Amino acid sequence: MAVGFPSRAFFEALQAEMRRERERFSRLGYFDTVFGVRVLDDARTPLACTLAFEVFDCVEVRDGIDPGAVDFVVEGPLEGWKAMLDTIHRLGAADTTHSLNTLTHFGETLQVRSDDPIGHDKLYRFAESMQAFFDLSARVDFTYPDGTRPPAARGAA
Amino acid sequence: MAFFAQKDFFDDPALIELVTNIMAGNLTLGWYDVDTPRMRAVPADPARGLTYADCNLGSYGYDAIPELVRNRSSMAARGSVLVPDLPDIGYTVNRKSDVWAPCVPALYEEAKARRWAPAVDVPWAELKGGHDDPLRETAMAQLCTLLEEIALVAMEAPGRWVFWINQEFLELKSLLCAQMFDEARHVEACRKRALVGGRGLGRASVTAEHALKEILCAETYPEASLGSNLLLGSFVLAMYRALAALAATRADRLLATLSMQDVARSVAYGIGQAEYHLAHQPAKVDAFGAYLDRIEHTMLGIVGSAEFLEPLVLLAGGGDGPDAVERGTRFARRWLAATCEDYFARCRRTGLGDRRDRSRLGRVLGELTG
Amino acid sequence: MSYLSPVDYTEDRDFLDRLQRRLRGDLDLSWMHVDTEKVACTAQNERRGLTFRDLDVGSYGYSALPEVIRHNRSFAPRGAALPPGLPDLQAEVNRTSEVWAYNIEGYYEEAMTRQWNATTDIPWADLAGAELPEDIGKAYAQLLTFLTEVEMIATDVPAKWMGRLAADFFEVKNFIATQAMDEARHAEIFRKRALSTGYGLMRASRHNEWNLKFLRDADSFAEASLSLHLQAEGMVLTLFRFSEYVSPTEADKKLFRLVMQDEARHVGYGMQHLKWVLDHHPERREIIHQHLDEAENFVFGAGYATEVMEPFIILAGKGTKKEQIAEGVRIQQMFQQKQSEEYFDRLAKCGLPERRERSRLWKILDLTLRQQAA
Repeated sequence: MAVGFPSRAFFEALQAEMRRERERFSRLGYFDTVFGVRVLDDARTPLACTLAFEVFDCVEVRDGIDPGAVDFVVEGPLEGWKAMLDTIHRLGAADTTHSLNTLTHFGETLQVRSDDPIGHDKLYRFAESMQAFFDLSARVDFTYPDGTRPPAARGAA
Repeated sequence: MAFFAQKDFFDDPALIELVTNIMAGNLTLGWYDVDTPRMRAVPADPARGLTYADCNLGSYGYDAIPELVRNRSSMAARGSVLVPDLPDIGYTVNRKSDVWAPCVPALYEEAKARRWAPAVDVPWAELKGGHDDPLRETAMAQLCTLLEEIALVAMEAPGRWVFWINQEFLELKSLLCAQMFDEARHVEACRKRALVGGRGLGRASVTAEHALKEILCAETYPEASLGSNLLLGSFVLAMYRALAALAATRADRLLATLSMQDVARSVAYGIGQAEYHLAHQPAKVDAFGAYLDRIEHTMLGIVGSAEFLEPLVLLAGGGDGPDAVERGTRFARRWLAATCEDYFARCRRTGLGDRRDRSRLGRVLGELTG
Repeated sequence: MSYLSPVDYTEDRDFLDRLQRRLRGDLDLSWMHVDTEKVACTAQNERRGLTFRDLDVGSYGYSALPEVIRHNRSFAPRGAALPPGLPDLQAEVNRTSEVWAYNIEGYYEEAMTRQWNATTDIPWADLAGAELPEDIGKAYAQLLTFLTEVEMIATDVPAKWMGRLAADFFEVKNFIATQAMDEARHAEIFRKRALSTGYGLMRASRHNEWNLKFLRDADSFAEASLSLHLQAEGMVLTLFRFSEYVSPTEADKKLFRLVMQDEARHVGYGMQHLKWVLDHHPERREIIHQHLDEAENFVFGAGYATEVMEPFIILAGKGTKKEQIAEGVRIQQMFQQKQSEEYFDRLAKCGLPERRERSRLWKILDLTLRQQAA
């Protein structure tokens, strides 16, 4: 059954996929950060979720963001997140134009907010693990608030 | 040969007698009952393994290192029992707040865990035959030539100091080894990238090299760390970040992202060291500020060089026609401004205050980027 | 005294004017037309990936290195275009034969891909429950104390030289960086294992500390490499192999196998470096012998390091009872013999077969063997 994006269930689905890929995430190395995700939508209440990563696992997905308890927050409009997720679903992983790094580069599509440069810099220290985490959405069946789905995987029937 | 043993052991009857006795089964066992604390290090988190944090126990731990290391000048392991007549190895960096940061053990563990090998972790086959855009490939080769230059210096920066730092700071010296290793990886990756695309290496940069030499030749370790980890590191981190954002292939994105991860660790250490240093030697805040006042100009010599800036403009703009160059220069101006702001934010974090008003670098970049 | 760039880039009008023009789109682009070799290196073996050996092409390659680096005193990558005005790196080592080794590029790539992690690659949680009898535990903790004490010399010494080598020798610099990381890992694993035995660290080793100072204070890179990589690490390699043999647990055997891999690489570099030197500069033979004379003096003096020899005897004999010590002594003697033989064998393979004849260490070993045979 499809989960909705954005929702806590979506990120819990990613968490479950990450457990299945433990070997891969182990090879990427320690992944120690807590960050928030905020999806802004004019028509709805923004979704705010906190994702906690420790060692090689996503250890917690929770509703809400306590600014004092996260290293940084990645936020942006639904359309910005869709751009990344649609690409991931179509290609199996984000391409360079739609990676988290590119979309947040100058803050035009997605923005990174942090009060602490050390926390902010964890976005860079764990960049590949973060991207690999979001790339897991290629395997998740989800719908957007308007009921649409991301495009089918390239080559899919 | 500089150093000789205290005696010719081949002509030492006492030695022969000692060894003969031991070989006859008469062990001296002088070491057997040394009075060192009996502790057992165990992993706090089995998934993480046994970390240096787990070994931070009593007199063995890094928390037990005093601010001034006066009585341990050999390579004896921290916490081991010293014996008379140990040599003075010659360490000149013996003050904890000159080198330490609380994040050191964790960053060392992270560096090991997040290792990668350019030969096999970058999908080089994707780049076979070079890019179908010669202009792009030439720009990429030039950027990588400059990044190789930078990495050669960034590899030497910790190497210059590790020899002189007291062995009590084992975890810190280990982190410096990890830094050298990271930068060796960047030398390798950038050189390989430049030579795989059909254009060969580009041009060495006079302004960047003079700038890098000035950073490399810091007089003290705290200044060396400030200059290479915080200042240079901030800009190089942003370079790799931009390269990842502008990448046309997965191979280039991966190369830049993985390199960025490594540099971000050095930056984290640079922030942590400066913060710790100033917390313990608050009188140094003026000296640190003055050092940055003097040395920040070197960033302009690097990022303002033709060998960096022009390839960046071409990559960002997607070509060398007027519209593309306009796009590219807009990107470059934004990049310079944003990178400088991030650097100032890191400086504030260390306790250096807001450098925006006093920094000549900030003033000049502000004027140039409008 | 620090170095100051000839130009303050925030003040120099020419530089700032050029920069401003650049940011407005007036690009110079002269770097696009440099006369460097156009190459497209490819991986000869896709499974191995793209290696430094694949980059050994034309003027970029290490095969093209001259004996004396005259043309590049800067940080410029080998083969890059060298514009006028580059700074002087003040490299002290500009002769290839001072640093080069056959297969240096192979050792580097191997090191880069064979990094293991002392934190996670040993089953520490299992070892937490492994109680060692007191005599074995203390002996093992003492051996580990010695090993953690000496390992970082092979970080400090190569790192000291890294910045003194010409930039054209980057394969060597890179190898030095991997060795630094290897040795940090060794110091780490021996320390962690000592602290996980429950006995903690034991006694520092006076004799070996003076040996470390000898290694640190070598006059030249070649001397440093000879005594560090070939003599010291060669003998430590044999020690690791015997330590695996006498290890108290399976996890410890794995530990020694892992450190052995790294050490063998360093010894390999040392051997290949010596071969290169003797092949290209046979006139250095006597200087090499003189250095080894003193290095072997320290080796022989290691008899004073009872905190190394005696734990090994106890571990080898598996205890402190009289018959166990006798067995331990027997194995210790085998080990010393093997250690010395391997050392002289390596020297012979590198082109120094006459070392045995010259060496007082060999003469004493030979005498001891003859006495035992009699």
